[in-house]
Amino acid sequence: MGSSSKRKKDKQKDFQKPKLRVGKTKAKPDNYTDTSFKSKSIVLTQQSLHLSAPTSNATFTHNLSLLSAKSDSQRRDSLAYLTTTISSRPVNSPLPQPVSVILPSLLPLILDGTTSVRTQLLKLLRTLPAGDVEDHVAQLLPYVRAGMTHLAADIRSSAVEILSWMVDAAGESTVSCAGGWIKTLNCFLSVLGWHTEESSQWSSSRASFGKSGSQGKPMVKTLGALAMFLDAGIGKPSIGGVDSEMSGDEDESADWPFPLCQTAQHMISDSSTPFAYLNLFGKPRDEEGEMYETREDRYRVFSTRFQPAIERGIKSAREEGGELGRASSGVSKVLKEAIAYGPGP
Amino acid sequence: MVKRKLGALEKVEADLPNLQHKIRRDPKSYIEDFRAQHYQYESHREIFMAAPSSATDTGVISLRDLIDFISHVADCYPGICKDFPQQLIDMLMQHHLVLETELREKLVGSLVLLKKKELMDSATLLHTLFPILISTPSKTLRALLFQKILSELRTANSKTTNHKLNRTMQTVLFNLVTSDRTSAKGLWAIKITRELWKRQIWTEAKAVEIMKEAALSQNEKVIIGGVRFFLGGDKEREELEDEDSDEEVNVGQVKHQLTINKKTRKKARVAEKAIKAVRNKERKKGNPAPLNFSALHLLHDPQGFADNMFFKHLQNGKSKLNLEQKLQVLQLVSRLVGLHKLHIMPLYSYFQKFLTPRQPSVTSFLASLAQASHDLVPPDVLEPLVQKIANEFVSEASAGEVATAGLNAIREICARQPLAIEETLLQDLVMYKKSKDKGVMMASKGLLSLYRDVGAQMLKKRDRGKEAAMSLRAGDRQERRYGEQAAGEIEGLELLAKWKDEERRKKNIENGLPSDAEDNEEENDEADWAAWNVEDDEDSDIDGEWINVEEDVEIELSDSEDEGKPASKKAKQEEEAKKDTEKQAEADKAIDFMKLATTRILTPADLAKLTELRAQAAAEATLPGNKGRVAAPWTSRHTDDPLTAGEIEGLAALSAAKATREERIAHAKEGKTDRSEHMSKEARRKERKEEQGKSTTNKEKARKKNFLMTLGKARSKNKRSLVETRAVLRAHVDRGKRGGRRGNVGQ
Repeated sequence: MGSSSKRKKDKQKDFQKPKLRVGKTKAKPDNYTDTSFKSKSIVLTQQSLHLSAPTSNATFTHNLSLLSAKSDSQRRDSLAYLTTTISSRPVNSPLPQPVSVILPSLLPLILDGTTSVRTQLLKLLRTLPAGDVEDHVAQLLPYVRAGMTHLAADIRSSAVEILSWMVDAAGESTVSCAGGWIKTLNCFLSVLGWHTEESSQWSSSRASFGKSGSQGKPMVKTLGALAMFLDAGIGKPSIGGVDSEMSGDEDESADWPFPLCQTAQHMISDSSTPFAYLNLFGKPRDEEGEMYETREDRYRVFSTRFQPAIERGIKSAREEGGELGRASSGVSKVLKEAIAYGPGP
Repeated sequence: MVKRKLGALEKVEADLPNLQHKIRRDPKSYIEDFRAQHYQYESHREIFMAAPSSATDTGVISLRDLIDFISHVADCYPGICKDFPQQLIDMLMQHHLVLETELREKLVGSLVLLKKKELMDSATLLHTLFPILISTPSKTLRALLFQKILSELRTANSKTTNHKLNRTMQTVLFNLVTSDRTSAKGLWAIKITRELWKRQIWTEAKAVEIMKEAALSQNEKVIIGGVRFFLGGDKEREELEDEDSDEEVNVGQVKHQLTINKKTRKKARVAEKAIKAVRNKERKKGNPAPLNFSALHLLHDPQGFADNMFFKHLQNGKSKLNLEQKLQVLQLVSRLVGLHKLHIMPLYSYFQKFLTPRQPSVTSFLASLAQASHDLVPPDVLEPLVQKIANEFVSEASAGEVATAGLNAIREICARQPLAIEETLLQDLVMYKKSKDKGVMMASKGLLSLYRDVGAQMLKKRDRGKEAAMSLRAGDRQERRYGEQAAGEIEGLELLAKWKDEERRKKNIENGLPSDAEDNEEENDEADWAAWNVEDDEDSDIDGEWINVEEDVEIELSDSEDEGKPASKKAKQEEEAKKDTEKQAEADKAIDFMKLATTRILTPADLAKLTELRAQAAAEATLPGNKGRVAAPWTSRHTDDPLTAGEIEGLAALSAAKATREERIAHAKEGKTDRSEHMSKEARRKERKEEQGKSTTNKEKARKKNFLMTLGKARSKNKRSLVETRAVLRAHVDRGKRGGRRGNVGQ
């Protein structure tokens, strides 16, 4: 059989062992690829070699840009760097970058999936000067609200923390900015599950979706934040604050020589957006997105829309007892004071 | 243990699909969760609206996911989501130019989904999608929107015709076309209308009106879109219909395969679907065919339209159309003229300058001219044109193809208006039948045979032929005058009359009467009536019972079963009158069959017989024996069919110069399949079988079997004892009787 013997030979050829000989270089394997090359020069296209170290400002900007990096550890580290830079700067010196530049890259991190990033973010936010934050509350709030209603419980609780920081830092503008009052309260109700009578009962079988979160006691934290928020929105205006304001007014009027009175009213306003309520450039707002700038307005809205739901919720929380009951007493205290004060003087 | 890798969404348990699934199963329990997600969507929307163009990173969940989620479960919470469709519409309408592609497509898909869940109506959906379709610069979005709009219109019309929606949509399209005549946006109206016309969803005059306006626009693309629709839309529709009916599913095969192949749920579903489709088709077959008029017939005021088209696009010096486009417009105008017998006198003088052999695509012009001539065109308008064609095209010196085209064109014109040619010219042209060029000869003979039919007295005596000459002499053929109309008749009615006559005669023979009963008219009449009655009875065997109704109904009805109460009557008083008409009919055989139409109502059974007879006659006519009686091509043409340039060119191929060797080789190769591989027939067959996935025969398997595997059996065969051999042989014979190993008795 000629063909078959030929085939056998062919097959044998495939499996022949290379002969090794002493004193000779080893034969190259069949699949050897020659990677050597010749070149007159080698140019690396991207290299950033500087003689001087980058300035702190440049590193700050660089780290700011790293906030949108893919890896979460990278984001966390950048945040940590920014935090230390801001907190360790000399007292009364300006920020390396203005808040309006920093904030846009921080905002998406409120909804970040990694817990460590969010905690680091909160630390960074706390280092920001309160006065600068006040103007950017309207930007912050949508993200915070999105966080508060997020599917993931961890994100919810950290959003609540951020909200309480905001109320701390800029309480008045938080409750009075566009959509800040009704929408945020709605979010609170939805986080606490107090929207309907049925769902607010402690005995109702609430099929809550998603993990309860690792940080524990989110309800307690939320109730605390709610108390602060209500206090900022409809709480009795503290005497001291009014006093200081009054005194400030007096001071201001005192600044002007005698014939001038109430001149401060006619001067350029202190706030960055004095005419925001006119909504000249935005799209028309509905009732929920409207600005409620005075306590009176807020109280009116609250009493018509939220008071029953919140009272009901507090009641059931108190009945639940324990830590939750204690936390609810804080809210009820604020609420009582607010109701006692009524729609205002 | 290795730690399992977690996805970003899994880590935070932000699993929207999971929640969606749970909500679907129990909407009431998850209302709080949904509300939270709705707030979440609201906040994200706010973030998005602040900067629609920049794709803001919002962590693990994007606005797109939320929109998808909410639109999927929106029907569970109509109260919470009542603004949702409007929000999506606003988002899409305001920002479709700057949105990122994925979000944009998600918005469109969600809107369609919401429509499907009936959270918004189709009119709103279409009013949203259509403006974007005509304004967006993105090609992918346009394709998506076009497809969605079409499918929306189709589904809206799937059960019953949604007249209201159709009307609003048609009005929108009409306004689009008429509002700005210079813009190319009208193309979308054309595309949509044409597609729906093709699918027989829009078949009314309003759709045609849109196309008419498109054809009268000022943008070339739109014009040609409209014109093409009129020239080809109906054909396209017919083709699609044929295609639909073509795709046959063999139920038997499907069922058989189901018994053999592995049973899976999918295969069962496929089979069920096939059976359903077949059943549907059966049901459809029972329905009467929808009466669809062609677009050319649905035109209001065809005269005005044709006039406008002609003056605007052809006569107008400022028209920007190129030759090809002008030809298409001309084709449409001439078809309208021919079909509706319109009068546009300048049209004929317009042709004058194009009728030279050097004119590009002159055959199309000739075809259009022929189309535009009909028997109400004054002959003195056409005469110069015919003269010019004869002068320019038909001469000894001109090439064969040219002369052929000219002669064919003249023949086509004269077939429509026989008075368009002078006697001398005709006689000259007929002389070309002696031409050596085959194409010219055939064309000339065509002209000759045409005139033998329509105007034999114009031919020379020796050209007239036997039949024409005899009928001329007998005087029963007269020249048709200008504007004279032939009496209308039902095609093939004479065949029916003849058939009835024969039937009656047969009956007569059966009844013992003389088959040829014409001698005795009185008797015949009686017999005739008897026969008619018998015949009617015969009909009733098939079609239902005959009932005598009132006496004073004047007509005789023979009706089919379908109509419920078939009614027929025979009034005794009328019998006398009928007999009189009968006598007349007998006397005047020529109009005998017309009587059938004038005195009786043709029943469905009659009509069925009529079509059968017509088909039979047509089949007989094509038999080789009946060569002389084959109907001339110009008589068999339907008035709706267009005349093409190819027909004018005719047998030009015959008169073409001899082909070169290369051409001949190419021509020979044309019909043959690819012979790159030379294989035996058997091998080819086997390959084809393998391609179709069919199994091999036992013989083939045996042939392919490994040699070593057969060795053992061969060896043992040699060693068999006589008894063993006998047993084997017997078993073989038995098996043969049984029909194989498994036997085929039971099956």
